[in-house]
Amino acid sequence: MEEKLHIDWLSVVLYILIVLFGAINIYSANSGVEEVLKLDFSKEYGKQVLFIGISAIIVFLILLTDYKFFNFSAYGIYIVVIGLLLILLATGSFNKGAQAWFKIGSFKLQPSEFAKYATALALSKYLGGFDIKFEGRRNILSTFGIILIPMLLTLLQNDTGSALVFGCFILVLFREGLSGWWLILGVYMVTVFVVTILLPSIQIIIALLLICGVFVYFNRVRKQLVFLALTVFLASTFYILSLDFVFAKIMKPHQQQRILVTLNQDVDEYYAKKSKGFSIFKFEKSKEKDKSESKRDYSYNVRQSKISIGAGRWVGNGFNNGTQTKAKLVPEQHTDFIFCTVGEEYGFLGSTLFLLIYLLLIGRVYYLAERQKNVFSRVFGYSTASILFFHFFVNIGMALGILPVIGIPLPFMSYGGSSLISFSMLLFTFLKLDANRINEISRLN
Amino acid sequence: MEKSSRLFVFIGVLVFIGIVFICRLFYLQIIDTSNYYKAQAYGSNDITIYPDRGTIVDRFGKLMVYNDAVYDLMVVPQKAKDFDKVALCKELMLDTSEFNKRLKKASKYNPREASVIFKNLPFHLYTRLQEIIYQYPAFYIETKIDRRYNINGAAHLLGYMGEVTEKQLALDKYYKPGDIKGVTGLEKSYEIYLRGKKGKKVVLVDKFSKQQGSFAGGKFDSLPSAGQNIISAIDLDLQVFAEQLLANKIGSIVAIEPATGEVLSIVNSPNYDPNLLVGQRRNKNFASLLLDPSKPLFNRALKAPYPPGSTFKTVQALIGLQEGVLTPDTKYPCHGGYHMGSITVGCHAHGSPLDLKNSITKSCNAYYCFVYRSILDNPRYGSVQIAYSKWAKYLNSFGIGINTGIDLPEESGGIVKKPSWFEHEFGKNWRSSNVVSMSIGQGQIGLTPLQMANTAAIIANRGYYYTPHVVRSIGDHHFVPPSFKQRHYTMINPIYFDTVIAGMANVCSPGGTAGRTGISGITICGKTGTAQNPHGEDHSIFIAFAPRDNPKIAICVIVENGGFGADYAAPIANLMIERYLAKDRSVASQKPEMLSRMLKANLTGKPTTIKDSVIVVKPK
Repeated sequence: MEEKLHIDWLSVVLYILIVLFGAINIYSANSGVEEVLKLDFSKEYGKQVLFIGISAIIVFLILLTDYKFFNFSAYGIYIVVIGLLLILLATGSFNKGAQAWFKIGSFKLQPSEFAKYATALALSKYLGGFDIKFEGRRNILSTFGIILIPMLLTLLQNDTGSALVFGCFILVLFREGLSGWWLILGVYMVTVFVVTILLPSIQIIIALLLICGVFVYFNRVRKQLVFLALTVFLASTFYILSLDFVFAKIMKPHQQQRILVTLNQDVDEYYAKKSKGFSIFKFEKSKEKDKSESKRDYSYNVRQSKISIGAGRWVGNGFNNGTQTKAKLVPEQHTDFIFCTVGEEYGFLGSTLFLLIYLLLIGRVYYLAERQKNVFSRVFGYSTASILFFHFFVNIGMALGILPVIGIPLPFMSYGGSSLISFSMLLFTFLKLDANRINEISRLN
Repeated sequence: MEKSSRLFVFIGVLVFIGIVFICRLFYLQIIDTSNYYKAQAYGSNDITIYPDRGTIVDRFGKLMVYNDAVYDLMVVPQKAKDFDKVALCKELMLDTSEFNKRLKKASKYNPREASVIFKNLPFHLYTRLQEIIYQYPAFYIETKIDRRYNINGAAHLLGYMGEVTEKQLALDKYYKPGDIKGVTGLEKSYEIYLRGKKGKKVVLVDKFSKQQGSFAGGKFDSLPSAGQNIISAIDLDLQVFAEQLLANKIGSIVAIEPATGEVLSIVNSPNYDPNLLVGQRRNKNFASLLLDPSKPLFNRALKAPYPPGSTFKTVQALIGLQEGVLTPDTKYPCHGGYHMGSITVGCHAHGSPLDLKNSITKSCNAYYCFVYRSILDNPRYGSVQIAYSKWAKYLNSFGIGINTGIDLPEESGGIVKKPSWFEHEFGKNWRSSNVVSMSIGQGQIGLTPLQMANTAAIIANRGYYYTPHVVRSIGDHHFVPPSFKQRHYTMINPIYFDTVIAGMANVCSPGGTAGRTGISGITICGKTGTAQNPHGEDHSIFIAFAPRDNPKIAICVIVENGGFGADYAAPIANLMIERYLAKDRSVASQKPEMLSRMLKANLTGKPTTIKDSVIVVKPK
C-alpha cells in the first residue's frame, strides 16, 4: 500500500510565511541605507538565505526518513549531542573561557540549539517507552535527568538564556501528569521573587506572617491546614531570605541589572536603597563599582527596542524604511531583537498580525500534539510547541520591555544557521510523526 | 482533570500571552507617543546647510567683507585605532606626543563623537590631506565658513558677528542655538539681507551619530540660498586714509555725499581690526577689547555727543535769519568778548563790529551771544521757554536732538534739553542769560559727529538732507530702500544759506580761523570749532563741505583734546576733501608738510588702532 504524505499543510504554510518574513526583516536590519536590493552571501541576510536553503534540504530529508528512525535513534542523537557539549566544555577549559560553538569555516555550529531537539527526542522516547508512566520516584528522576543534563552543560557554557529554555519541558511534564500545583508553585515563586526585589524583605515576611496568622486563627480546629499554613510561611521566609542572598551576593551585576531594568527600577536608586538597610544582605562594594557601565548597556538595549517599536505607530514605516532599523540603533537587531524591525516597519497592525500568525502556529502544534495516538509523538509534539512557545514568550516579552533581557532567538525569524536549522528539524520531525499518525491508524485497522 | 483536556490550559495560556503582548504593543505604538518622538530625534538628524553670507563691497566695488572656508581636521577617537600615526603626524608637521595629547583630550571629551584635532588647516595641508584622508577612516575634514574683512579698520562700521542670544532665539525662528548673526554695525543692520536662506538635509544617523545616508531619499531636503551682497556707500580708499589721519588721536570723522546722504567714510579712533573678532580667537580678543581702557569698541561717530563749539554758529545764524531777528547786515560789537552783567563770554582779537558773514569767518563769540539772546528773547513768543522750544524744533529739523535714522545700530540723538530741564536747573523764571553759552555750542548741547557732518551736508544742500546711509544698494537687483531717497527739509528758507556759506567759504582763506589749511583750487566751506570740555585740552572740531557750488562732500572731523579747530580737525578735513575730490588719488597732496604732520601727530602716546599686524601706511 502506498504511503501518502498526510502532512499538516497549515503548519507548513505558517512556517514558510514566518521564515520568509524573517529573512525580509534581517535584510532590513542588516543592509545599508542606500544599498541596492541584491543577494550578497557575505552579508548576514545573504547567509540567512543560505541557511533557509540548507533547512529546506534537511526538511526534505526528514520527510523522506521513515518515522520509526526518530524513535529508534532518539537516544543515539541525545548521546551524540551531549558528547558535543562535553567536548565544547573540555576545549573551553583549555581556551580562554567557555565557548558555545564549533567553528566550521566561517560558520559557527551551536550544539546547544540542537540539544533542545535531542532532549525532546530522548524525553519522548523515555516517556513513550513501553510501560513507563510519569509516576514513581525512579521514573521521575530519570525524566528530570534527561532534561537537567543538557541544561546543566549549557549553563556551564555561560549560556544562561539557552539553559532556561530547558525549563519549558516542565510544561510537557504537566501534560504528562505532573500536578498543576507545581505550576502554581512556580508562579507563586516568581511572584514572591519580584516582590522581594521591589520591597524590603522584612515587610514581606511580616505581611506573610499576618496572612498566615489570620488563616490559622480561622482554621485553628483543622490541624492539617494549620500545619500546611505554617509550612508555607516558613518555606516562604526561607525562600525570601535566600532570594535576597542570591540576588545580593551571587548574581552578577549585569544579571541584577537586567532584572531591575525589566522591573522599571532605577538601578542607582535601587543600590542606594539597598545599601541603607533595605535588604538584609549588603550589596558588595565591588559589585556596585562597575554597575554604571553595564546598567547603561542593558537599559540601552531595552530603551532602544521600545523606541524602535514605538516608532512604528499604526502601520509602520514600511519595508526597509525603519529609521531606527536603518540607523542600526538597536543592538543585536537581526538576531535577538528582530521583532523591533517588525514593530517599526509594519506598525501595530503588522505586528499584531505577525503575533497572531505565530501564536496560531504554536497553537496548531499543541493541537496536533494532542491528537497523537502514541506517547512518543505526543510528548515530542508538546516539546516542540513548548520550546517554540518559550522562545516566543521570552523573546517578544524582552523586545516589548516586559521581561528581562535574555538572549535567546525568535525561532524561524532571528538570524542564525544553527537556530533556524534546529527549529526546522524540530517542527518537521514532529510534522513527519504527525503525518504518520494517519498511516499508523490505517495500519492498526 | 483529564490529561487530554490540559490542552485547553495550553491554548488558554497562548491566548492570554497573545492578549498581553498585543496590549503592550498598543501601549508602545499608539498610546505612548514619546517613543515615536524619541525615534524622530534619534534616527534622523536635520543638518542645516548654511548659506553663504552676503559680501560687502565699497562704492567702487572693492571687496570689504567676504567669506572664507576654514578647514578643520576632525577625529572620532573611538575609531582612531590601527592607523599610521607617524605618517599622519609627518603630514600635519605635528609632534607625535602633541598629537597623542590632542587625541586623548578628544577621547576624554567624547570618544564616540567627532572632535577637532587640527584647527584651521593651512590650504596646502588641506589639499594634501584630501588625497590621503581615505587611509584614515577615523579622520575627516570639516569645512566651516568664516567671515573675513579685507580691511584692518572700519570695525565699527562693519560690525562683528556673534552667537545668537536666547532672547533673539525666541524672537526670530530663523535662528537655532549656536547660530551666528551680526551683533553690531552693517552685519547687524543688514542681517536679514546678508544671512540668506538656510538649507536642510535630513540624514539618518546611527547610535554613534555617524551619518548613514540620506533620509527618505532626500524628500525633505532643501537647498540653501546665499545671502544678498551689499554695495556700500563707503569709499574704502577714503575710509582707510581717514583712519590713517586719525591714527594715534582720539576722535571721529564722518564724510557724507550731500546730494544723496551716502556716507563716504565713518571713522572712529581708537579703532580695531575687525579680523580680531573672527574665528577661534574671537572670545579672547573680544574680552581684551572690552577691557581696554581706551574703549576701542565705543562708536564715537554715532554715540558720543560732543559740544559742537563754534561750528554751531552756522546753525545759530540760520535760525536767527529765519526768525527775523538777524539780517546779513546786522552788526554786533565785540571787545574781547560778550559782557552782560555778571556774564562774560570771552573772544579772541579781531576787528569790531563784524557783520554776519565775517562773524562766521572770524568766529566771533560775542556776535552769537547777541544772536542767540535775540532769538530767545524774541517778543513774538512772550516767554523764553516758548522761544527755546521753537529753537529746539529748528534743531530737530536739522536732525539734532533726534536720531538721524542712519542705517547702523546704536545711534544716539545727541543732547538738546527740554525747557523743563532749565526750569529745574535755573528756577521757573530762567532767562536767556542762563543759557548764553549755548550760543557758541557749549553747555547743554551735544551733537554726535554724524549730526555735525549732517549739518554740513544740510548747509551744502541749502536746506535739506537725506537720511545718512552707509549702504548704496542691496542685492543683485540693486534694491535701494525708499527711505534713502526721501528729502528732509529744515525749517530754514533756502535763501538764508548764502550769507552763511559765504562766511564759511572764507574760513580756510587767509584771515579765516583756519586760514592756513586751505587747498588751492577747491573752495572749501568750513567752520572751525574749539570745544571746551571737562576732560582737559579743548576738542578740535571742523565741519566743512566742498566745492561751494554743487558740493560733493560734507565732512565733520573731531580730534579730542586736539586744541583749536584749526590745529588738527581743519587740516584733516581739508586733506580728506582734497583726496576725495582728486581725479587721480595717486597724485600727491599739495600740502605734503601738513599731511605728514597730521599722519605723524601722536596725541595719545600709544597706538589707537588695535590690530594683529600693523598695516603699512603710505603717505601720499
